[in-house]
Amino acid sequence: MIKLLGAVLILFAGTLIGFQQAARFAARPRQLRQLAHALQRLETEIGYGHTPLPEALGRIATVVPSPIADLFLLAAEGVAHDDGLSFRESWEQAMRQGWEATAMRAGEQAVMLRLGSALGISDKDDQLKHLKLALLQLKAEEDAAKEDQGRYEKMWKSLGVLIAVLVVILMV
Amino acid sequence: MLNRVVHLLPLELKAVLEKLPETALAQLEEIRIREGRPLELGLRGQSRFAGTDGTLRMAADGAYKPTGDICRKLLERITNYSLYAMEEELKRGFITVAGGHRIGLAGRTVLDSGSVRGIRDIGAFNIRIAREVIGSANHLLPKLLDRSRKSIHSTLILAPPQQGKTTLVRDLARSISYGLWGQGEGAGWQGRKVGVVDERSEIAACVRGIPTFDIGPRTDVMDACPKAEGIMMLLRSMSPEVIVADEIGRDEDGEAIREASHAGVSVIATAHAYDVQDALGRPVLRRLLEDGSFQQIVELRRTTSGFMHRIISAESAVRSPAAREPTAALTAAATSTFRRSGADPAPVESGLQRGGAT
Repeated sequence: MIKLLGAVLILFAGTLIGFQQAARFAARPRQLRQLAHALQRLETEIGYGHTPLPEALGRIATVVPSPIADLFLLAAEGVAHDDGLSFRESWEQAMRQGWEATAMRAGEQAVMLRLGSALGISDKDDQLKHLKLALLQLKAEEDAAKEDQGRYEKMWKSLGVLIAVLVVILMV
Repeated sequence: MLNRVVHLLPLELKAVLEKLPETALAQLEEIRIREGRPLELGLRGQSRFAGTDGTLRMAADGAYKPTGDICRKLLERITNYSLYAMEEELKRGFITVAGGHRIGLAGRTVLDSGSVRGIRDIGAFNIRIAREVIGSANHLLPKLLDRSRKSIHSTLILAPPQQGKTTLVRDLARSISYGLWGQGEGAGWQGRKVGVVDERSEIAACVRGIPTFDIGPRTDVMDACPKAEGIMMLLRSMSPEVIVADEIGRDEDGEAIREASHAGVSVIATAHAYDVQDALGRPVLRRLLEDGSFQQIVELRRTTSGFMHRIISAESAVRSPAAREPTAALTAAATSTFRRSGADPAPVESGLQRGGAT
């Protein structure tokens, strides 16, 4: 009886781990797409609205879902607090703090950090060029992420169950 | 004074300024920041350099020198981290921030087919601290009343820079809007609808279209709008009874004011000029005075004891031969205007106003 219960628990845990790994592969392209949407929104706010950066970031945070929105909120809050951060410092801090909650990797983080060093300090045309460049780079990352998803998502799902089954068989 | 702009300053700069004595901070009017050069402060028209230890120096050596990093942080803060949203302001060479403080900028200009498109490599800032002096027009307003219309005469206010013109028109707008015509015959009159064309955002200090200074309940503000267009827009859309504009001087401003003034609207405007003779030397102002667009002229001076103002009727200023003679010595012209006040019913009035000054 206890053996059976143990086997069920191992199977359950293995399946869960597999699905969790698979979910990370599924989440990365989705979050990259959301990040690209957010940057497109920023492009509009800068290009047409002339909205000041902290306000624009706040607005973007209301339209994109959670882990991505937090990145922008953190960046906007960093300059609102009176601890003498420049925008670039605040942006960098936000990208490092908020990044762990996302499924995204170092490649796209580097893109965002590069963008942060240019945001807000030049005229409109220049800002739009920097945003376009960042969008292109994110697109490339998204394509790679999609490929990874196709390759590894299903594999992780079945791998989790299969390893659990193997462990159970060895134990019995 | 410092606490009004302190949120704009980078921490290092704030620390230096906060060490200064209280009495000096209360008189602070300008903070002039130049990259790599001594920090200069304007205190009641006097210039001093600030040391790192909280001393005020006459000489520049040993004073605190802001670094390039501080200047970049300052620029970020005054542009709200968004230089791209300030293109118009950079073209004009100054930024007005919340609270009505004007920050002048100097640096290397960017040209686009001969005309200035903006400034980059900004290396010098001049923060002018705006002050709202409620009641600064109390002594002046009762002398400008138009009895027949129960309103104010069209008035041109003349003074050199830094004499309190903007402070005065702001309070005039507020008083007229509330209907505070002072004791005397205007006591029971109603307030009037006031339209303010605030090209430099200094009169009302609007933040997103909402005035941050008290400019009265019947006042509409056309913020950051070119004066000539703003006056015409207000005339057409907001039915003002009094229009207030700051620092007129271009041809199209003159046209618009003439239009408004002859449409039965009282116009209160300021212009840079030392006195009436000076103003008559400027073609736009001269034409406006000659065709009766303004009925009154106010010359404004700031002295250590308060604002001095002198009221001259526009008609007598234009008629006066002394006024027509641009080469006449200023003092001679001024005394002649004063002397005429005995013969003429009362074209000239003067008053020293205390209490309004800070």
